[in-house]
Amino acid sequence: MIDQRGETMSYKVLVVDDDPDVRSFVVTVLEENQYIPLEAEDGVAGLEMIEKYKPDLVILDVLMPRGSGIRLYRKLKTNDHLQSIPVIMFTGIALRSFLKSQKVLDEFDNGTVPEPDIYLEKPVEPEELIEAIRQKLK
Amino acid sequence: MKIIKKLLFVTKFEDLCYDALKSLLVLQRSGLEHVVFLNVIERDKVAMQRGSGFLKEEEIKLKETANIRFIDWAENLFELGLEVGAYMEVSTLIPEILRVIEKESPDLIVIGQSHKSVIKQLYAGSDVMELVRRARIPILVFKHMTEDNLVPEKLFERPMFATNWSDTAKKTVEYIKGIKNIIGQMHIIHVVKESDLKGTDSHEVQKVRKIQRKKLDALCEELENEGIDARPHVYVGDPQSEIEKAAREYQATIIILGSSEKNMILDRWVGSIARNIADKSIYPCLLIPGKL
Repeated sequence: MIDQRGETMSYKVLVVDDDPDVRSFVVTVLEENQYIPLEAEDGVAGLEMIEKYKPDLVILDVLMPRGSGIRLYRKLKTNDHLQSIPVIMFTGIALRSFLKSQKVLDEFDNGTVPEPDIYLEKPVEPEELIEAIRQKLK
Repeated sequence: MKIIKKLLFVTKFEDLCYDALKSLLVLQRSGLEHVVFLNVIERDKVAMQRGSGFLKEEEIKLKETANIRFIDWAENLFELGLEVGAYMEVSTLIPEILRVIEKESPDLIVIGQSHKSVIKQLYAGSDVMELVRRARIPILVFKHMTEDNLVPEKLFERPMFATNWSDTAKKTVEYIKGIKNIIGQMHIIHVVKESDLKGTDSHEVQKVRKIQRKKLDALCEELENEGIDARPHVYVGDPQSEIEKAAREYQATIIILGSSEKNMILDRWVGSIARNIADKSIYPCLLIPGKL
C-alpha cells in the first residue's frame, strides 16, 4: 500500500504500554494512518510480541509492570536479531532519568547501548506522534 | 544468596512515602534489583453513588495522582540502576496484593500500617496478619507517618530480633544471615514470660535467665561468625511490652520477628505477639513467615 507521499503504509507497529487508554490512543492514531497496530501491556509481553511478529517499529513506555521499558529497550538493542528495530520511547519518565539509568546499567553490564531514536514525553498530540512514526518509517 | 531481589511497595501515600522507600535502598547492597509499586484505590472511593453512577472521573483523577507520584519515585530508582514497575488499581487491598504477588513474585512486601480501629481489626482482622497468613512472604510494616515518628534513615542500622526459639525463629535467623551485609549492630532479645517463673525462688529465676542467656550467646556467636555484630538481652515480663521496651532502650531502628501461622483464628481474638507488635509498635517491623 502506497500513500499520497509515496510511502509504504503496511508497517507493523507495536505499542507496549500498561495503560489501556494510552494503547487505545496510539492504536487509533496508527489505524487512522493505515499502519498495522500490535499491542502489549508490559515488558514481558512486549518482548514476546517483538520476537513473534518482528514489528517495523516499537512505541515503548518505560514504567510498566513485569519489566520496564528501560530493560526491554536494552534487550532489544543488545540482541543481534532485534537491534535494528527502531524504537520510539513514549513515556512520562523524563529523558534525563532515562539516560542516567542507561549510563548506570552500561556500567553494570560493561557495555553501552545507543540512545533511543526518538524520545517523546507524555502527553503528546496525535500529530506529534504520527510525525515521529513517519520519521522512523520513511 | 540474594534473598531480596524484588520488593513490592504497597502504598496509599498517606501511610507510606518516599522516605520509607529511600530507607530500603540499602537493600541494593544485599541484591535488590527490582521495586514494584502498588497503589490500591479502595472501591468505595469511586463506587456507584445515587444520581452520579460510577465515578469514572474520580478514578482517573486518583490514578493519575498516583501515577505522577510513582513517576517521580521511579525516576529516582531508575537513576540508581534499579528496575521499577507500577500498578494502580481500583480494588480491595488484600486480594489485589495477592494478585500482584502472583504476577510479580516479590521477595518482600512493604506495607504501611492499617488505619483500621481496634474494633474493626478485631472483626475484620488486621491487613498485615491477613497478608502474613495468605502471602507467605516476608512483610515489612511501616508505621503511620507523623512528625514525631519519622522513618529511620538507616533502617537496618540497629535491628532488634525477638526470638522465642521456635522453628519460625530459626528460619528468621537464616533470613537475617541472608541480609547480613546491610545490618549494623543487631540486638537479640528473648523474653521470659512471668508465668514461666511462677513458684520459683530467686535461684530458679537466675537459673532460667542463665539458660536463656547461654542460648542467646550461642546465637550471637553464630551470627558473629557470619560477620554480624550481635548483642544478647534477656528480659522478663509480657513479651509484647518487653520487646517494645527493649527496642526503645537500645534505640532499635526495626524489630524483626518470626510469624507463625498457627492459631490464626485464635490470634484474631486474643492477639499474637507478632500481630500485636506489628499493629501497635511505633517501630517498623519485619515479619518473617514460618513457611517461606
